[in-house]
Amino acid sequence: MKIENTKAQMRKGVLEYCILSVLRDNDAYVAEILETLKDAKLLVVEGTIYPLLTRLKNAGLLLYRWEESTGGPPRKYYGLTDTGREFLKELTYTWEELQTAVTIVTTQKNKNHE
Amino acid sequence: MNKTVNINLAGIFFHIDETAYAKLQNYLESIKRSLTNTQGQDEIIADIEARIAELFNEKIKTDRQVIGVKEVDEVIAVLGQPEDYMLDEEIFDDEPVQARYKNIRKQLFRDTEHSYIGGVSSGLGHYLGIGAVWVRLLWILLTILSSGAFILIYIALWIFVPEAKTTADKLSMRGEEVNISNIERKIREGFDDVSGKMKNVDYEKYGHQARSGASNAAKGVGSGILFLLNIFVKIIGIFILLVAGTTLIGLFIGLFTVGTFGLIDTPWTDYVEMAAIGAPIWLLSLLIFFAVGIPFFFLFILGLKILVSRLKTIGTTAKLVLLGVWLLSIIGLAIIGIQQATQRAFEGEVVITESLPVTPQDTLYLAMQHDTRYGSGINRGAVTIKYDENDNKIIYSTDVRLVVRSTKDSVGRIEIVKMADGSDFRDARDRAEQINYKTAYTDGRLLLDSFLTSDAGNNFREQEVRVTLYLPEGMVLYADGNISSFHRSSDYYGNILTYNSVEKYLTIGENSVICDNCSTEEDEWENSTWDEETQENETPAETEPDSIFEQVEININADGVRIKENDQHTLTLNKKGISFQRS
Repeated sequence: MKIENTKAQMRKGVLEYCILSVLRDNDAYVAEILETLKDAKLLVVEGTIYPLLTRLKNAGLLLYRWEESTGGPPRKYYGLTDTGREFLKELTYTWEELQTAVTIVTTQKNKNHE
Repeated sequence: MNKTVNINLAGIFFHIDETAYAKLQNYLESIKRSLTNTQGQDEIIADIEARIAELFNEKIKTDRQVIGVKEVDEVIAVLGQPEDYMLDEEIFDDEPVQARYKNIRKQLFRDTEHSYIGGVSSGLGHYLGIGAVWVRLLWILLTILSSGAFILIYIALWIFVPEAKTTADKLSMRGEEVNISNIERKIREGFDDVSGKMKNVDYEKYGHQARSGASNAAKGVGSGILFLLNIFVKIIGIFILLVAGTTLIGLFIGLFTVGTFGLIDTPWTDYVEMAAIGAPIWLLSLLIFFAVGIPFFFLFILGLKILVSRLKTIGTTAKLVLLGVWLLSIIGLAIIGIQQATQRAFEGEVVITESLPVTPQDTLYLAMQHDTRYGSGINRGAVTIKYDENDNKIIYSTDVRLVVRSTKDSVGRIEIVKMADGSDFRDARDRAEQINYKTAYTDGRLLLDSFLTSDAGNNFREQEVRVTLYLPEGMVLYADGNISSFHRSSDYYGNILTYNSVEKYLTIGENSVICDNCSTEEDEWENSTWDEETQENETPAETEPDSIFEQVEININADGVRIKENDQHTLTLNKKGISFQRS
């Protein structure tokens, strides 16, 4: 069992939630989403995000529109759909629960060790 | 110094170094592979290409700058290795689980990197788990044995079996699991380097891995059954492939030799010409070729599909065109068939009676005669086209039936029944009248034509002739051996001759024949074992009534002519003159 795999899996697990969160307030194109995620050190390489975005879009959580850019290729601007917002709400709730649960478990362990 | 390639990434134009180009292409290709089981693969690839274009755009300062390996490496570092594109099924569970199992299966590809011609043999070798050398030997052997026909199967495989281009293809060709670590390993091994050439690949190792992979799969009971089922299906596939393949080859050879070019002159082509089908022979052969060939072609594809899971499809348009051609052929054949049936709906006949001046006291020698212009043999056979003395086309048929019957009249007679089919009764009768058939009687010898002819314009409509000889009871008949194929199976018409009635002196009785010079045993074979006894009891030479029927031996060679009669008299004709010897 490789530690890298476990780490990657942990990150991937919350990635969907994070992408939806980035798009909560305003639409963004891929490079912007990537920047936010990379700044937060949630993403090491960009590859993961493309299949994920397509999946979310196919699931009806995201929408996109094309916008011309200066110099580069046209950009895909992603935004949340109504379903996407509902989904995000659910995920936020779950994440908070999970966070509490993980904190409880991990601190408990620490106590046992002491 | 390096060549550059112009590429279009998401609508943006880039100059790229050739080496860098190969690297980028391989990278995109392996991403595509790792996304094989993901929905929206094309869209994802397009997004990635757009992102690469964006990154390149940031990196180059001027329009003239060329993108090199360094830039590509940097972009790959940013985007990540192919496995980063894979969504883990355990977390994102909307992918079918069996998709992973599917990848372990070996697939048939053409291994163009170890090929002599198209890589079919080495691909088959990987697939069957045997060395490519053996497969090649088998090909050569089969090609020789089938006189070249297997070349066509080779070509078909060449066309339809995809080439192992990507790393994943090469892995599944060898039966290795297509996962990221394997692909990565291959890439590191130089599997996908610039020229796309593989470095020395340790076959033993891969073979071993493939085998252990297979045995692992077979361990579980469920997968064991699946494994057996798989083999069963493959066997069916091979069977379908062989049957359809050989049929197609046969049809193909048939079309080109018989139908279109008329390389081989078969009775069949003559028949079609004579039957006046209203369609030229090449059209008819094409119709038959399509009507039979197209279903077998689809069978062939089906067989291949069973064996090769990622078969290139022939496309919907091609399928529809083939279906249309097939339907047209069927309709065409049906029209021809109905036309022919109506042309033969009625049967007409003409009866001609000729006198045969033989009385009960006479002996009749009966033989078939043929016309040397039309061939040499006297046997019943197929209908063909011949040319008469004026070079006119005629229909030549040996459909002549001989019937011998007894009569209480004092003289004999010959009844010739000419028969033919036609679109109505009159047409049939007219055609029957057009049949030429001759008999010749001179001095106790009756010669019947072994054939019938008719003008080619009359078309072949089952013309046939039935000759019935009515012989007075009490007369003697000696039938030549050449009649045997003509009077066989004539019992229905009251024929009194049997299969061994030839070359014997027979007395005509009431609806029967009595053998004069053979033993009481009817059977020839038994007769021959009794040979000596018969010789003693009967002396055949003395009972022979007419000298023409005695045994005569004629020798003709460069020295001259020698006629020997009953081993007693010899007549010699040579340079010295004529001499007659009596022993």
